[in-house]
Amino acid sequence: MIRLVATFEALKVATSSLRANKLRTALTLTGIIVGVTAVIAVVTIIKGLDQTVAQTFSSQGSTVFTVSKSPLIIKSREEFVKFNRRKDLTHEDAEAIARLCPACWRVGIAANAIETVKYADQKAENVQIRGVDPITMFDIDGVSIAVGRIWSESEGASGREICVIGPDMLKNLFADAPADKAVGQELRIDGRPYLVLGVLEPRGSIFGFSRDNVIYIPYSTYQKAYGGRRSLITFIQVPAAEQLEAAQDQVRTIMHNRRHTTPESEDAGFAVETQDVFLNLYGSATSNIYIVTIGVAAISLVVGGIVVMNIMLVSVTERTKEIGIRKAIGARRKDILTQFLIEAVMVTAIGGAIGVGTGFGLAYVISALIGFPLLISVASAVLGVSVSSVVGIVSGLWPAWRAAKLDPIEALRAE
Amino acid sequence: MSDATLTISPTENVIKPRTEVDGHDPEMLISMRNIWKTYQMGTEAVHALHGVSFDIPRGEYIAIIGPSGSGKSTLMNLIGCLDTPTQGQYWLNGKNVSEMDDDELARIRNQEVGFVFQTFNLLARATALHNVELPLIYGGVSASQRHEMAKTALTAVDLADRVTHKPNELSGGQRQRVAIARALVNHPSILLADEPTGALDSHTSMEIMDLFERLHSEGNTIIVVTHEHDIAARAHRVVSIRDGLIEKDERIR
Repeated sequence: MIRLVATFEALKVATSSLRANKLRTALTLTGIIVGVTAVIAVVTIIKGLDQTVAQTFSSQGSTVFTVSKSPLIIKSREEFVKFNRRKDLTHEDAEAIARLCPACWRVGIAANAIETVKYADQKAENVQIRGVDPITMFDIDGVSIAVGRIWSESEGASGREICVIGPDMLKNLFADAPADKAVGQELRIDGRPYLVLGVLEPRGSIFGFSRDNVIYIPYSTYQKAYGGRRSLITFIQVPAAEQLEAAQDQVRTIMHNRRHTTPESEDAGFAVETQDVFLNLYGSATSNIYIVTIGVAAISLVVGGIVVMNIMLVSVTERTKEIGIRKAIGARRKDILTQFLIEAVMVTAIGGAIGVGTGFGLAYVISALIGFPLLISVASAVLGVSVSSVVGIVSGLWPAWRAAKLDPIEALRAE
Repeated sequence: MSDATLTISPTENVIKPRTEVDGHDPEMLISMRNIWKTYQMGTEAVHALHGVSFDIPRGEYIAIIGPSGSGKSTLMNLIGCLDTPTQGQYWLNGKNVSEMDDDELARIRNQEVGFVFQTFNLLARATALHNVELPLIYGGVSASQRHEMAKTALTAVDLADRVTHKPNELSGGQRQRVAIARALVNHPSILLADEPTGALDSHTSMEIMDLFERLHSEGNTIIVVTHEHDIAARAHRVVSIRDGLIEKDERIR
């Protein structure tokens, strides 16, 4: 009961003391706020990115892998030269895989180009033109048709100029007209006219890049327009993730045979990859960001803690007389200790809470600008406030201890 | 153990030599035996008190008088349990406080001693009511009971209409009365006043001394430490301190 009453008094004293020195309190808070803001903002942003990335790659999913001439990520010029010397991956390679790999479920090929697309007087730049075959590539890519239709098998083989457009095209070329208005229209890619057969469902954007800024055309048409010499990528889907390894092994064997290489060869002549390479790259990039941020936050929390300690020492000196009075009328060491500790923790906890708020605010602004979901995590908010409270305890302990062991007679003499 | 000779009794008819228990007189509110206080000043040991012994019965109004440097402040700090003697025994209300640690002393100060200081020593940011409540807070009294007791104490010093005022909104005399209310609120065994009128004009000083007289007549034990003879003259017994020893101990009324 004594503890409770005295602690409540300490809380009131701390509040009124912080209120009485508003400017000082604000300045003391700054260090803690900056540190917590940085951590909360980065953690929140990265969590948002994580979710975006996970969703993006799961749309193809962990059941898809690729065979290509060179890997998705090239680490050096030497590698680039080496991969560039390899034989192009061809339609025949894809057909061989489809024929010879029992674990493979869907096999498709895709090749990409970036073009300017025109419709009437409208123009869309940097549109991804994706030549695919067969139409199961739409399933492998995880896209589906919203309005209209995909080309038929015979149309796909015919080399006719037909296409299925991503929803960004409606916005950029058709002035946001409904999808059915676009179907049947003719647009020009690289000067050639293409008939719009259908419009895709929107997929949103990742890292500010729209995934709907795309036009699918049959691979035969792509070949006609851009020539057969461009290397294509073979996409292979297995029914379930467990079969991925087996399918990759089979595909490697088939490709080694076709390139006349063995697993021991200096250069296999092809690359078998899953989207994991992106996830790994992304993971190592974000973990570096985490480390740097935590370092910055740690430094600013240490500095903030030193500021709090300094201010608390000033506060103890200023209030020596008050401490003397309180001790004279019966405050024990722990009452005084608690009083100053509560004050220090209150400053840092408030700083932490404000930091959590500004951190989420900053994350909100950045996520709105870049375009990924804002994931407010209660755990990181709790962590932000509790870490800063710990900073308060650590930095308040020494000043509070000095106050607690003041001699009441000496303290009363202070002015 | 019988050791009645150490008891300095102001008048034999009031305080008779008694049989002591454990080296002190259990009937006395305050019983000090051979109290020494030594300060180390560099390499030199300075004796502020050289073996002081005396008793104060319950309900007494006593003045401790002496010039500065006489050791009276040291004695006051010991009586008020703000400090412990280097040597000797001090019983307050039957408890041997000479060997208590910091927290036990804080508890005794809270329960047994009501301080009144020359410079009032009120908390500047707190209202009169909160100042008076402070000893109760450290005594663990609940809020509602605290308000009640503090209001009663403020009423007793005629400040019922000033409860929400802060010290800087009160006159010197009113501040000292708030301090007296704070000293009394816990119903301590002793009211210990250190130069209580030192910061007040003569008219207000007399009002405060009248208040002490009234509080004494209501049964409180009052100890006033002063260097002013006319203030000491208001007490019923005067103990004079000089050079760390009791020079004179006389009953004056």
